[in-house]
Amino acid sequence: MGLLFERYHRPLYTFLYHMAGRNDACQDMVQNVFLRMLKYRHTFTGEGEFKTWMYHLARNVLSDHFKQNKAVGYYDVHELADKLDGGTLADSEFESRQDAELIQTALAILNQEHREVLILSRFQNLKYAEIAEILNISEGAVKVRVHRALGELKKIVLKNNNPRTA
Amino acid sequence: MNCEHTREQLADWLKDCLTKTEKSEVELHLIHCLQCQEEFEASRQLWTTMNLVQVSVPGEAMKVQFNTMLNDYKKTSEIEKKRTAPDWIRQVREFLTPQLALQLGFSLLLVGLGWIIGYRMKSPAAPSVAYEQQIDTLAGQVQKMKQMMTLALIDNSSATERIRAVGYSMGAEANERVLEALFSTLNSDSNVNVRLVTLEALTQFAADPLVRTELVKSLAQQDSPMVQIAMADLMVRFQEKRSVKALRELLKKEDLNDMVKNKIEQTIKDLS
Repeated sequence: MGLLFERYHRPLYTFLYHMAGRNDACQDMVQNVFLRMLKYRHTFTGEGEFKTWMYHLARNVLSDHFKQNKAVGYYDVHELADKLDGGTLADSEFESRQDAELIQTALAILNQEHREVLILSRFQNLKYAEIAEILNISEGAVKVRVHRALGELKKIVLKNNNPRTA
Repeated sequence: MNCEHTREQLADWLKDCLTKTEKSEVELHLIHCLQCQEEFEASRQLWTTMNLVQVSVPGEAMKVQFNTMLNDYKKTSEIEKKRTAPDWIRQVREFLTPQLALQLGFSLLLVGLGWIIGYRMKSPAAPSVAYEQQIDTLAGQVQKMKQMMTLALIDNSSATERIRAVGYSMGAEANERVLEALFSTLNSDSNVNVRLVTLEALTQFAADPLVRTELVKSLAQQDSPMVQIAMADLMVRFQEKRSVKALRELLKKEDLNDMVKNKIEQTIKDLS
């Protein structure tokens, strides 16, 4: 179990961090996922990847978290919008970093479905087939969703990037 | 390859998981289609920039928290294991399907029935006690009857009847009245045979010291040689030392048979 923790607590944390955001809540959720692994270890039949089973658990924990907090996403959208507008780092060496921040905030604004698929494919580096298994949809649908999510993300970034470049 | 088809490949293209031919097809389209080229380029930029997104690293505290959680879980699961009695009952209940329960119940019923039948068949032990008691009562009654017969017939005029009367006393228990009657027969019956039989009957009660004393006393009163010899034999058999005096008295009798005399002398020698 300790080994599993060593191997998976970072990816899990990243996933939950992007999905939910708050640091303390994330840590709790990671704990929760591992606790569920212990409790429901009999449901892991050995068929299929452990990773997908883990993400199933993580998604359940996440949805419980959202239910408890009665919010679908929890970032304050207005606050984020301010951040996007005010984020003016002129120095070019900070530009990429700024871009990253921009994307991070834009991700947060993105609807949950799109955000999830991008996190899983980009940050978790999962194959589309694996994502398809986690989300219980076809691989083709995952690709379409990734495409659309990227489109949406681009829109948000461009919309907020324009004032800065203008 | 048209734009729509190419855009379908975007996701795979970004992840770089297209085959060589697919990739070259996509790139060929991109050269010709400026719109797609722009979109792909923008997407790729976005995709690369996403890599730069920094995530705060989970602290050491989380690991500590995890270990605490793991230990807590182990403890609670151990406690749960200890408290498995109700759980065990539940499992048994789950295991007992209605059919199995019926079978088990039926077999238990059969075992119970067998036990009851066995118990019932063994219980006539109680009546057998009553039976034995009945037999005891009957035996007692027979004894009494024998004693009564002895007493009734012993005064009969016929010697045969008197022998029968003495015979009745054989195997019967010693009763004061019966003993008294037997001794009076031994001492005063006119028939030698009756006296001999009576002597034989009295030997079975010889364990009683009172009977022995009476026998020694009766020695002096005998005049028949046969009875005297029989009595002398009896004294030797019981090693009755008290009889020596009575035997010496007997020797003094004048009309004593020689054979008896010899026998008595021999007896005295054996006893002393």
